[in-house]
Amino acid sequence: MIEQLLQTLLNGAASGGVYALVALGYTLVFSVLGVINFAQGALFSLGGYLTFLLMGGRIGVNGALPGWALPAGLPFWLALVLAALGSGVVSLGVERLAFAPLRRRGAEPLLYLITSLGAGVALVNLLQILMGAEGYAFPATTLANLPAALNLGGARIRSIQVVLLAVCALAVVALTLWLERSRGGKALRAVAEDPTTAKLLGIDSDAMVRLAFLLSGALAGLGGGLIGVSVSLAGPYFGISYGLKGLAVLVLGGLGSVPGAIAGGLLMGLAEALVPSAASGWRDALAFGILFAVLLLRPSGLLGRRLVEKV
Amino acid sequence: MDNGLLVQMLLGALLGVSVYLPLAAGQLSLATPAFYAVGGTLAALLSTRWSLLGATPEGSLPLPSLGLELVLGGALAGSLALLVGTLVLRLRGIYLAIATIALVEIVRVAILNLPFTGGAVGIFGIPQPFAEASGYLLPALALLALAGWGCQRLEVMPLGRAMAAIRDDELAASCIGINTTRVKLTAFVLSAVLAGSTGALAAHFLNTWNARQGSFDASITTLAFVILGGSRTWLGPVVGGLLLTALPELLRPVGDVRLVLFGLVILLGPVLAPRGLITPALLERLGGRRP
Amino acid sequence: MSRPLLEVRELTCRFGGLVALDRVSFAVQPGEIFGLIGPNGAGKTTLFNLISGVTPATSGEVLWRSEPITGLPPYRRNRLGVARTFQNLRLFDGLSVLDNLLVALQRQPRSSTLAGLLNGADHRRAEQQRLEQAWQLLEELGLTALAERDAGTLAYGDRRRLEIARALATRPELLLLDEPAAGMNPSEKDSLCDLIGELRQRHQLTVMVIEHHVPLLMRLCERMAVLDFGVRIALGTPEQIRHDPKVIEAYLGGAVA
Repeated sequence: MIEQLLQTLLNGAASGGVYALVALGYTLVFSVLGVINFAQGALFSLGGYLTFLLMGGRIGVNGALPGWALPAGLPFWLALVLAALGSGVVSLGVERLAFAPLRRRGAEPLLYLITSLGAGVALVNLLQILMGAEGYAFPATTLANLPAALNLGGARIRSIQVVLLAVCALAVVALTLWLERSRGGKALRAVAEDPTTAKLLGIDSDAMVRLAFLLSGALAGLGGGLIGVSVSLAGPYFGISYGLKGLAVLVLGGLGSVPGAIAGGLLMGLAEALVPSAASGWRDALAFGILFAVLLLRPSGLLGRRLVEKV
Repeated sequence: MDNGLLVQMLLGALLGVSVYLPLAAGQLSLATPAFYAVGGTLAALLSTRWSLLGATPEGSLPLPSLGLELVLGGALAGSLALLVGTLVLRLRGIYLAIATIALVEIVRVAILNLPFTGGAVGIFGIPQPFAEASGYLLPALALLALAGWGCQRLEVMPLGRAMAAIRDDELAASCIGINTTRVKLTAFVLSAVLAGSTGALAAHFLNTWNARQGSFDASITTLAFVILGGSRTWLGPVVGGLLLTALPELLRPVGDVRLVLFGLVILLGPVLAPRGLITPALLERLGGRRP
Repeated sequence: MSRPLLEVRELTCRFGGLVALDRVSFAVQPGEIFGLIGPNGAGKTTLFNLISGVTPATSGEVLWRSEPITGLPPYRRNRLGVARTFQNLRLFDGLSVLDNLLVALQRQPRSSTLAGLLNGADHRRAEQQRLEQAWQLLEELGLTALAERDAGTLAYGDRRRLEIARALATRPELLLLDEPAAGMNPSEKDSLCDLIGELRQRHQLTVMVIEHHVPLLMRLCERMAVLDFGVRIALGTPEQIRHDPKVIEAYLGGAVA
């Protein structure tokens, strides 16, 4: 009984950590540009598939190159980091294609939503052509040195969930520290706070925008790789559903708030884990139900602040 | 071209107009598929379960019943939009985009899980008011004509002008006495009514109905209609809907890349051709019509 | 003294830690032209935003004919009689000049959506009246020849006048003009000055003007207020303002230091 509850809570916290990563990705771009990058979910998928391929995974029969694999596979940790980096680089491409031209033109924010949605959809469907719609599971030996379950105070816990939670926590802490302490992080926050003043201080705001995209893509890719290992790659659209739930997390935490994204992610993960299995069919709607509840009760989210339009 | 494809194209055009309406007031709503699914589900349920509608065991349906379903489908979808819109439209535009994505997911999960909507299989054997696909041409055309006429009238009405003003500058619009929330809400509800009625018609035409009818993919597809066609006049989404519905059918070999294509349309459209294919200037050149 | 048309009491606005307006109070009498001056960042535009309802006040009150309107949204205040222009021009660039006015004339007179859809007699009559009023305003502001042009394609001075016309189309009693003469040459400024006076007569307006060009404002206004760092440091006739030591300090002191 206790064991079950502990496992449930851990599952919730682990997937909550991943939601936090996705929501943080949204938050970084939102804070510098004031818009949502809807390609986030596709980058999540990409991270999962890149991790799989870098570890030497073989493309399935419905893919564009059936049976193809890298000549040699990398260890999981290295593959995960490289995959996150790869998603970050593709995210830079998204910025170049979907955001930069509109920014130069000073286009209305609405259009960014549309172009980034287009970039995401094109990316996911390209993945589908390359890899096929089938699911992929990582080999059982992925975490070579770890036993499948850990003994935690008498309760047996799936070790992959512990890894998941630890990596997410590490990423979140590293990002927060970087934002708070480093020169680059401070510059990024300055641009988010007030682009005009930042420019006067000699901060290259375009570079900061690119940095935000690189980081947010890497966060999404990291999340995708982790979910791939802990659950599986359930077709290229698996990232889209995380991306969509990430939006609910974003609203729950408050648009633009870093601590909000983290708290919102954890809460969302726990809430989903506590859905009784009899109602598991409805689990996927829970996040969006919460979203509407937040919009009704507290539109600025848990930790968001009121935004005032400049006139 | 066979009649079935023509009907599908007309349905596409109708959904295009549904996405266009909020966009004409500067609001991005991705909820058209959700309202389409709601209207279709209602029609499927009513005609298969409610004997008063007069469906026969052979699977036919009296025409007035179809008309009633179109009205009810539109009304249900419109009420849902009123509820969601009231909640969301007082907030900034970005919230509408997010909330409508959420609505699509909630409706999809609900249709999948509700005890009476047939689960993953859905509802099948939906009665047919027409013996052949060609029969659906007339009601689809009539619905499109009605929608087009309404949009055309809007351009010379306070409501339509207010929508155009909000699209250009919401803050300035509110400073000249326009109740922006109400105008946006009206556009959103009109969009939902149209999608709901279209769904009711589509449910009969397709004969079966399930949760896949209203998915995130469908949001993308219908958005692509408007981005390709343009959203400066209602003819844009009509042309976009007709073209993009026909294209994958006509180019069967490219079947798999359909969504890549739509994704690219949405990605590159606003960059390369911000106003889409059909613009007021183009119409003026073609017909001397001043929009 | 008659009952003021507009009154602000202890009006305060904070953005984060920044105090944009600090307990500002004054009253505007019906029919007067009331000027607002102060160095950059003094809070003049913020004050207009609070009066028109674009920005919420942190504390304090805005009274319209002695009734509080502090919590009302911009469209409600406009319907009560407050209209404004914007420092950085906010026209409906995608609409024609004529449509920019027609959209502001929606309620003059009102007609139902149903009548509009069916093109009923009510709607046609209302449209006719709106058109007449729009053309009249275009003529008053010298924009007749540009009626069919998209607002986004107009020259700067025409855009400024169109924005005033659009505000007038809502039949305001109080017109807030935010730097209407910005970017104009001296002779344009002079004619704008005359125009504002004429418009006040013809439309029975009360006018509040923000302007950097102090001589113009001194000529135009009956009374004025001076803001400095969000605080109202002076209030009175142009003559009183000219000799107010605090004003001289704020303007000259700042320049010398």
